[in-house]
Amino acid sequence: MAQVKLRKISKRYGNLETVHGIDLDIAHNEFVVLVGPSGCGKSTTLRMIAGLEEISGGEIVIGDRVVNALPPRERNISMVFQNYALYPHMTVRENLGFGLKIAGEAPSEIERRVAEASAILGLDPFLDRLPAQLSGGQRQRVAMGRAIVRNPDVFLFDEPLSNLDAKLRGQMRVEIKKLHQRVKTTVVYVTHDQIEAMTLADRIVIMRDGRIEQVGTPQEVFEAPDNLFVAGFIGSPPMNQIDATYRASDGAAVLQDGLAIPLHRSGLVDGQPIVVGFRPDALAPKGHALFADNRRLSFDRTVTLAEPLGTETILFLPLSGKEIQARMLNPRVVAPGETLAFELDLGSVHVFDKASGKRIGGRSWQGLHASN
Amino acid sequence: MSFLRSPRAVPYLLLMPAIVVILAVIAVPLAVSLWSSFTPYQLTRPVTLFTFVGLRNYSRLLENTDFWWAFGRTILFITVTLNLELVLGLGLALLVNQITMGQRALRTIMMFPMMFSPILVGFQFKYILNDAVGLLNNALFDLGLITQPIPWLVEGTLANLSIMAAEIWMSTSVFAILLLSGLLALPKEPIEAAKVDGCNAVQTFRHITLPFLMPFIFIAMTIRSLDVARAYDMVRIMTNGGPAGRTELLWTLMARVGYQNSQMGMANAMGYVSILLSLVFTLYFYRKLVAARRYMGGVE
Amino acid sequence: MTIERPWQRWLIRAGVFFAMALLCVPGLWVVLTAFRPNIEILARPPVWLPQNPTFDNFRGIFGLLPDQQQGLPVARYFLNSLVISLTSTFVAIVIGMMGGYAFARYRFKAKGALFVSFMLSRTVPGIALSLPLFIVWSRLGILDTSFGLILVYLAINIPFTIWLTDGFFRQIPVDLAEAAQIDGCTRWQAFWKVEFPLARSGLASAAIFAFLTSWNEYALASQLTRTTVSKTMPVGLMDFTAQFTVDWAGMSAMAVLIIIPALLLTFLVQKHLIAGLTFGGVK
Repeated sequence: MAQVKLRKISKRYGNLETVHGIDLDIAHNEFVVLVGPSGCGKSTTLRMIAGLEEISGGEIVIGDRVVNALPPRERNISMVFQNYALYPHMTVRENLGFGLKIAGEAPSEIERRVAEASAILGLDPFLDRLPAQLSGGQRQRVAMGRAIVRNPDVFLFDEPLSNLDAKLRGQMRVEIKKLHQRVKTTVVYVTHDQIEAMTLADRIVIMRDGRIEQVGTPQEVFEAPDNLFVAGFIGSPPMNQIDATYRASDGAAVLQDGLAIPLHRSGLVDGQPIVVGFRPDALAPKGHALFADNRRLSFDRTVTLAEPLGTETILFLPLSGKEIQARMLNPRVVAPGETLAFELDLGSVHVFDKASGKRIGGRSWQGLHASN
Repeated sequence: MSFLRSPRAVPYLLLMPAIVVILAVIAVPLAVSLWSSFTPYQLTRPVTLFTFVGLRNYSRLLENTDFWWAFGRTILFITVTLNLELVLGLGLALLVNQITMGQRALRTIMMFPMMFSPILVGFQFKYILNDAVGLLNNALFDLGLITQPIPWLVEGTLANLSIMAAEIWMSTSVFAILLLSGLLALPKEPIEAAKVDGCNAVQTFRHITLPFLMPFIFIAMTIRSLDVARAYDMVRIMTNGGPAGRTELLWTLMARVGYQNSQMGMANAMGYVSILLSLVFTLYFYRKLVAARRYMGGVE
Repeated sequence: MTIERPWQRWLIRAGVFFAMALLCVPGLWVVLTAFRPNIEILARPPVWLPQNPTFDNFRGIFGLLPDQQQGLPVARYFLNSLVISLTSTFVAIVIGMMGGYAFARYRFKAKGALFVSFMLSRTVPGIALSLPLFIVWSRLGILDTSFGLILVYLAINIPFTIWLTDGFFRQIPVDLAEAAQIDGCTRWQAFWKVEFPLARSGLASAAIFAFLTSWNEYALASQLTRTTVSKTMPVGLMDFTAQFTVDWAGMSAMAVLIIIPALLLTFLVQKHLIAGLTFGGVK
């Protein structure tokens, strides 16, 4: 059983604190993804778990041992680096077996386990090549092979796919997911790419400026972002966010251009500055989406730009002084300058406090659901 | 004790032996040198090491015409040779860069003078330039260009030029090799972009190639300014400052005053002048190097 | 840049040939002289190609000619040079590598200042340094000893070795040592099994530079050594010059002995030499 526990972990460089007391529990065999923009402390956190960075404060537990004082080799972890960090002077076979050799395993045992890993990852044809003779995807696989050979308690991944092109990245993502299903192990995976996070993770940890913004399953962070940062970070295209003021008389958010969006939300006071958020999926031209009748808000807008993506088209339109995006699923050619009637699904509107950025209540009509 | 065991101590522990050696062999002797430059120290009378005379050695130096001649000649020597070496080295690098076949062999030949001891270079030129048996005079005779031997190392001006020629022979390679490797590392795209933008060969060189080579030029200059004083060895064997002090450089003069005349105090004062001179040259080029690297967006 | 016209190409070739000739001829001439009898050297009109190649000059400097009472102790000089150069090179590489590694891999206080100080210590002209060293070494009683000279060459070679190895180690991604530690290595094993093998060619070139510097050094050796106990080859070369006469044949033979080891070593690792200089510097 190798769960990982972070207790008030912090990292300081001189006077500069880059990670501010993080708490996180990772269960046995769980796949957890740390995601956030660059400089958010996700890599530093991972490196503290690995033992490559000193821990300035707090405690890290792997399995049931506090590992703060242990060097990397005693933590029984393995790691895949962003640049793979394959040993350039060793063949693929030697790279895979290096950790076992250091651990003093018998040659026959090393050979058996290298062969096993090589078979899983399809590396057999390359075993006697040097890393320089491999393509990016092959190097990536060797790096993963080197990690699984040692049968570690915890797998650490530090942005392993960021050096691959888009197509290969998609393939490797699937391979990593399959690998995890096959060799059940606890995984901590760092990336700045929210799509990787959504597709791979059992649970996502969204970080910013050395703090955790939200922890949850991909579904949770997507459907109920705790704050404006998470709302903007997760999902592509990003959530539309519009400043508004709450009007208690009819329970609506009033935008700057006068449009009123009914909210039916408790916990708001009249005149409170808020931010209304809705994903492009929640906005479509009339007739292109089936939103419940009683939860629709219609308004006409002139489309400024249309981005056809094949199965869907992203439409850009002005709303309250900002340019927002809508998603149209059915095939239809829209020319810029065309005025359409749009429908907003009120059931998918999120409300955030303008001052704190924190989410207010559940989704807009959840309250009604409960009372119905 | 606890600091020594902490990870923060590791770099200091790693550097400790180097620091100790440098302190013992460079820093402490330099302190001794500084002290003795304030004394009338003579090798033959050891007690004089403890007589403090303040700046007397320095003020005498400033009044001494021999010193000023040697000083001026040294500055001239450094400036002329470094600049000519740069120009010739750049020319040689550009030439060799045009040749595709056998470039490695050429690079090997270019390294030839670099492995020569300066004293050997001096000997070699002393021999070749000898007015009686030297290769150069013999060749000029055979070609019918001269009827009287030319006293390359005996006449003052010729001797100075000869010494500079030997120095340039010895060190042009350093520039050529470093600049050639700079040319080989030159990215193709900016040059192609410049051609597309309508630059001719000279303009391309002036605006693309040369700026890219600047860090390499400054590396070569820094490396060279570290060891300009090697010229001492060469001059020592070629002319030893003669005839009549006409090729005296700061370095030969200081050796004469210190060891032959045993005026160690005075020699150390000169030593300090020469150290400062080297420091100024090196620091100047090192700063240029750092700046050029930053300009090229290189990593520190 | 491509040159299309044939006459330009020939001009370039001629220029390169001329430059290479200038670089080669002086050395070759000395080598030829080393194998000539003295009559030929002094002959007038001059003899261009050796007519009677001989090893007598080499025998002469080792005192092996029959009519010679005593030769110069060249064998001893050679041995001194070898011992002093090899020892100082080996120790300088070990110490310099430690320093270079510290600069390449660690952040610490006064790092920049320390690095520049090392470099600047190298700028002190040999002859200027020899003055105080002469005073101090004679008080310590290590004047005219191999040990004294080895110590000096250590100090000269360490800064340059640090400069080069710092560059080499920075070429090696930090990831590799970290990956090795995660693979179960101690910090020391990670260095020894991963970083050291990768830096080996760079270290070889640093060693060559250090060796050549020690082997060729004259200014310090000429003042800090006095007798056969510690005199090196370059200092020994000056034994051949008297006030008014020069033994050209003997000196040429000695010159050949000085250049041969340097030549061999340089050709052995010339590829790394250039890479060493530029990588250490630019990147």
